[in-house]
This record gives sequence, structure tokens and C-alpha cells, in this order.
Amino acid sequence: MVEASEEVLWAEKYRPRTLDDIVNQTDIVNRLKKFVQEKNMPHLLFAGPPGTGKTTAALALVHDLYGENYEQFFLELNASDERGIDVIRNKVKEFARTMIPSNVPFKVILLDEADNMTADAQQALRRTMEMYTETTRFILACNYLSKIIDPIQSRTALFRFYPLKKEDVVGRLEYIAKNEKVSYDPKALETIYEVTMGDMRKSINILQAASSYGKVTVETVYKVLGFAQPKEVRDMLNLALKGKFLDAREKLRSLIVTYGLSGEDIVKQVHRELTSNEIQIPEELRVLLMDYVGEVEFRIIEGADDEIQLSSLLAKIAIYGNKYLGNSNE
Amino acid sequence: MSRVPWIIKYRPKSLNEIENQDDVKEQVKQWMDSWLKGKPEAKAILLYGPPGSGKTTLALALARDYKMELLEMNASDSRNLTAIKNIAERAATSGSLFGTRGKIIFLDEVDGINTKEDTGAIPAILELIQKTKYPVIMAANDPWDPSLRELRNSAKMIEVKKLGKYALKRILTKICQNEKIECEDEALSSIIDLSDGDARYAINILQSVAEGYKKVTKKLVEEISRRKESELDPFETLRSVFWAKYAWQAKNAVTSSQVDYDLLIKWFSENIPLQYSNMEDVWRAYDALSRASIFLTRAKLSDWGLLSYVFDLMGPGVALAEKGKGKPGWKAKWVKYQFPQTIQLLSKTKETREMMNSILEKIGKKMHSSTQKVLNDVYPFFTQYYNEKMGEKLDFSPREREYVINLRGRREETGEQPEEKRTKRYYKRNTRRT
Repeated sequence: MVEASEEVLWAEKYRPRTLDDIVNQTDIVNRLKKFVQEKNMPHLLFAGPPGTGKTTAALALVHDLYGENYEQFFLELNASDERGIDVIRNKVKEFARTMIPSNVPFKVILLDEADNMTADAQQALRRTMEMYTETTRFILACNYLSKIIDPIQSRTALFRFYPLKKEDVVGRLEYIAKNEKVSYDPKALETIYEVTMGDMRKSINILQAASSYGKVTVETVYKVLGFAQPKEVRDMLNLALKGKFLDAREKLRSLIVTYGLSGEDIVKQVHRELTSNEIQIPEELRVLLMDYVGEVEFRIIEGADDEIQLSSLLAKIAIYGNKYLGNSNE
Repeated sequence: MSRVPWIIKYRPKSLNEIENQDDVKEQVKQWMDSWLKGKPEAKAILLYGPPGSGKTTLALALARDYKMELLEMNASDSRNLTAIKNIAERAATSGSLFGTRGKIIFLDEVDGINTKEDTGAIPAILELIQKTKYPVIMAANDPWDPSLRELRNSAKMIEVKKLGKYALKRILTKICQNEKIECEDEALSSIIDLSDGDARYAINILQSVAEGYKKVTKKLVEEISRRKESELDPFETLRSVFWAKYAWQAKNAVTSSQVDYDLLIKWFSENIPLQYSNMEDVWRAYDALSRASIFLTRAKLSDWGLLSYVFDLMGPGVALAEKGKGKPGWKAKWVKYQFPQTIQLLSKTKETREMMNSILEKIGKKMHSSTQKVLNDVYPFFTQYYNEKMGEKLDFSPREREYVINLRGRREETGEQPEEKRTKRYYKRNTRRT
């Protein structure tokens, strides 16, 4: 197996480089290998949860198509980082214009997180794809297939990626640990799998973080996970439950400003906290709050200002906190 | 997107950048140096002068020049009494001035303290001054109130005079050049006349003319300043809305405000919990405001006619959220409203946020991931295993390296130690759920 030893981030260092290196996902790999043999392929659509190998498959595919120096024939774009469809269109235009040698059949553009694009932007993307189809093939990657408009789905070959199996994740982690000379408790690797549920990137990141504390044990894995979740979200909820609205709002601001979290991120974390046993409240209250958290997330998606919407959530929590836990609101 | 007010954007960062006031600068520096020598000539100074003469700016610039952290507090805000006491405690015990980063304590608007309501505030400040191991700066417009006598006696008084015409002219001209706005000389003169030495007022007028019309002429300045007279400033707008008993009063107030709807929503968001004390009222007001902001998005996306509902929900919606309103014996609470903090916070933390973004981009490039993905899935772990070698390989700047290392330290300090059993159950539940 080829590994770039100068890589410091394990998730990158242990990314399979060629299609042959990808040990599981046999189905996908076999279909992709056919494209390499025929030196032809349609536009592709990779759909599946994070860390299941979409980017890896795309990189391995272009590697096998063009060899080590694939970068000149390959453009990577991220729908969530490129601001707007115009930026994407311009970059595609510029890239598609560059000349290629006659033995290279086409160039490849990987557009990641395509499901973050609005329906209108996807329509524009579809036209762009058609415009350059002679010289360029697109690989679109997304988490949710349902967020991709039909016209794009019907013009691409769909590849579904599923969460990796337990033996695949644990096996890979074992391999990495041995290679990096990290001592580990086998149970710890299973724990990592249980937490990530088949997300390879996250699994490897947790392993690397845990190894920085010494031997990788179940305890160090939980330690890593504990540090990874900003305690602020839980603190904020507990303050609101106690009726300390203004203090809770200070926490909210530090999440938005210091941690750079978006309203949606915060709502999701609030939701996670409320489902956990870390927040101790009557079960009945959990259900009531959950309902409102859902409403808040919906409103944020609809375009409500993050901070205002979350302030209203904190006020609601304070009201319920008073009703159920008997704190006095000042 | 919220725009940064020019008074913040163009606030001088260093004492050298401050126009005129040489005398004041000299006195402040002398005082600061005496602290650094370990023999402060006075533990506190009291900067006094008319609004917009640069008191806050002086404090901020001083802290920056001396590379110290400014612990800023609005003294007139009654909620801060405990905060003043906390600071007093910390200031009395904490380490030396020469530590990694010294601190300056800054108490703004000490003349705004309501001595009847906040009986404890002045003694708390006096105690702070007595015990502090850090320099204390106070600021006031009018320090001659009898209730401030003791504060005057415990601090060195430094007068900050209103800005002269030439100084103001230089400030305004610089902004015009920077923002690439056409400014008539006559227009600037009339702004300067109107502002009477108040730099904040002058810059605000300049901004509202420039943003509305892209150029600044004498005629426009006069028109805007005339309109300003009949328009409500943000404080008046808030007061009119919160005190309104009828929907039409509240709607009038929001539609005749000189602050535009984007910014006004933020003003309300900031001040709702200061005005209302009943949590149910607070929630109802936020609920109305959140509907207002949804309608604003809809108006921007599809039809500006929907803007009317933004005003309905922001004005009457917030005003009538108070249940007890209108009942016999009801009286609106008198509140000192404050400027939306998020805007200031965002402009203060701009550098840090840009640095963080650059870090995320560098990791993202290596990992073929977007910054958002890195922030959620990689960064929380990355900060735990980060070491110097990685900083090198990822091409981090020295400041970026320092930032990540500090973050790692902080996480280890404040991060909790999850009890294994409980957490385990949580993740198990999680597994089952999905």
C-alpha cells in the first residue's frame, strides 16, 4: 500500500490512493474500474453519509485515470466554500478552457457538498455541466440524495455509499495503530466504531487524538469525545433552565462569535444534549422542549436571524424550567 | 449582513492615531508609566468631557499600545454591580502587571450610575480602586454631580476637550478617502458645524448620508440632519415601542426610526430582556421578533411589500408582548438601553475569526474538505492532537500556531472529564436511535 509518509494528519496519510487500495465497497470500485479501462465515463453522483469514502473514491479514480500527476486534469470545488454559483461557474469555465494532451480523454471536476446548493443554483449547475460535457466530467458528492434536483439525478450515474462495517473500521484502525506504533486496547477501537457508526474520517481523527494522550483505551476515547464537544452548549442550557436568561445569552454569543458556530450547528447540538442524560430534566419536559427545538431549527432554515431565534429558545427553556423545576425567574 | 458602524470601524487603534488631545495623551501615558514603574501616581484616572470627545477611544488605544487587555464595563448598568465586585476581587488578588498580559480596568459612564437605585455601585468602585493591582480608567460626561465626589477624590482627573474643527475635518476627510466617497468641502464644513465637536455624531451623519446617496453634498447633509431631528434615534425608538400601549403607537415608532430595519431588529434583540422581567413576556417578544426576521428574509427574497409585516411584528408585536401592559397601575420600566453587543463583538473578534478561518482552510485543503466540514468533524479532534510539526507541515503562521496551542491548553483546563458510564449510555442510545 502506498502511503505518503510526510502527511501529519492520519486521516489523509491513510487515505487509499488507488482504486485497488480501497478494500471494501467492492461494488462501487468495480464499476469505477470499468470507467478507467474504457477511458470514458458519464457524470457521476456520489451520495452517502460523511466519512464513507466519496472523496477517496473520486481521488482514486482520477489517480488511476491520469497517474500520479492527476492534479493538472482535476479540479476540486466545494459548494459550501465557493460563494455562489457564479464563482463555481467561472472556475469551471476557466478550468474547462485549458488545453489537454490528446491521450487524455477528459478532465474531471469534483464538486463536493452539492446538496448545500439551492435548487436554483443546481439548475444553473446543470446547464454548466452540459456546456462543457465534451471536455469535462463532473463528480458531484452529497450527503442527502433527496436534496439534489431531479434533472441532475437523471443526468448522472448514481453511486450510493454506505457506512463502513464494524470489521472494516476496526481493521483499518488496527492497521494504523500498528503502523504508528501506538499501543491500544482492542476494546477502544470498537468503542470508536460505536461512536462514529462507520464514519472513517471521524474514526481516524478520534484515534489520532486519543493516541496523543498515550495508550488508546476506552477511557482516552471518551476523554477525546468529551473535549471535542464545547461544554458551552450544556452550560447554556443549564443556565436557561435555572432562569438565568442573560447569562445563558452570553454563552450563546460566545458560541456564535468565538466558536464560529452557525445557528443550525447550535440547534443540532442543543438537540443532542437534550436527548442525552447529561441534562437532567423530567422526561415529559424533554418532549416539550424537543418540539420547540424543532420549530426553532425550522425557522432558522426559513431565514430567521440565528441569535434572535436562539434567544427565543432560551426564553422558552427558562419558562419551562420554572414550571417543571421550580426555579424563580427574576 | 450587519454593517459595522463607522464610529467603530474608524476608531483610532493607537494613541498616535488620535487627533489632537496631545495634552491628554501625555498625561495618560505618564500615569501608565508610573504604574509600570510600580509606583502609580494615582490608582485610577477619571477622563471627563463631552460626548464624542474620545474618552472610550483613549482607553482602548492605551490598552492596545501597552499591549494590555481592557476589561470594559458599563458602570451605569445596574446588572453589573456583581460584575464590578467580581472584578474588584480578581483585580485585588491577581498577579503582577508584568505577567504575560496585563489588564486595564475600564468603567465607562460612571456618571450614569443611579445612586438611588444602585446604592452599592459607588462603594463597590471605591473598593475596587483601593484594592486594585491593575490600573483603573473611568469615564464620564459630567463628573461634577455631588454623588460622585468620592470618586473624584480617589482618581486623577483628566479633562478631554471636544474636538476642534481642523481635527474633525481631518478625521472626516480620511474616512471619505477610505470609503471612496465624493465629499464636498462645504458639506464637511456643515457636518462639523452641526456636530459641535462631537466626533461620534459627525461620523454618524457622514455615514448616513454616504450610505443613502453614495455622495456627500451640503444639501444632503442639511436634509438628513433636518430629518434626523424629527426621526427617532435608536434609544427613542426603543423607548417609544416599549412604552406604547397601542399597536399604532408602536408601529409609528418603528417606521419613523432613523435606524434601518436590519439594525433595528438587533437593537430589539439586545434590549428585550433588559426591558421585560417576566420570562413569558421575554419569550413572546422574541417570538414576535423572530417572525419579523423571517418576514424580512421573505421580503428580501420575493416581495418588498412584505416589509410592512416586519414593522408590524417588530413594533406592535414586541410592544404588546408585555401581558400586564395597560392594566391599572402599570408603568413602563425605565431602562438604559444598550448598543447591540454582537455587532461590537464581531468587529472586536474579527482578527481571531479570520485567523481561525485561515486555519480551517489550510486543514481543509489538505483533507479535501470544506471549512464547515473541518470545523465540525475534524477541528475538535485536531486541536487535541496538534503538535508543532503539524503547524510546519500545514504552513501555519506563527500566530496561528500559538492560537491552536493555546486552544489545546484551554480545552484541557476547562474540558470536563466525562463520567464514563453516563456517556457510554448516551452514545449507546444514540446508536439505537439511528
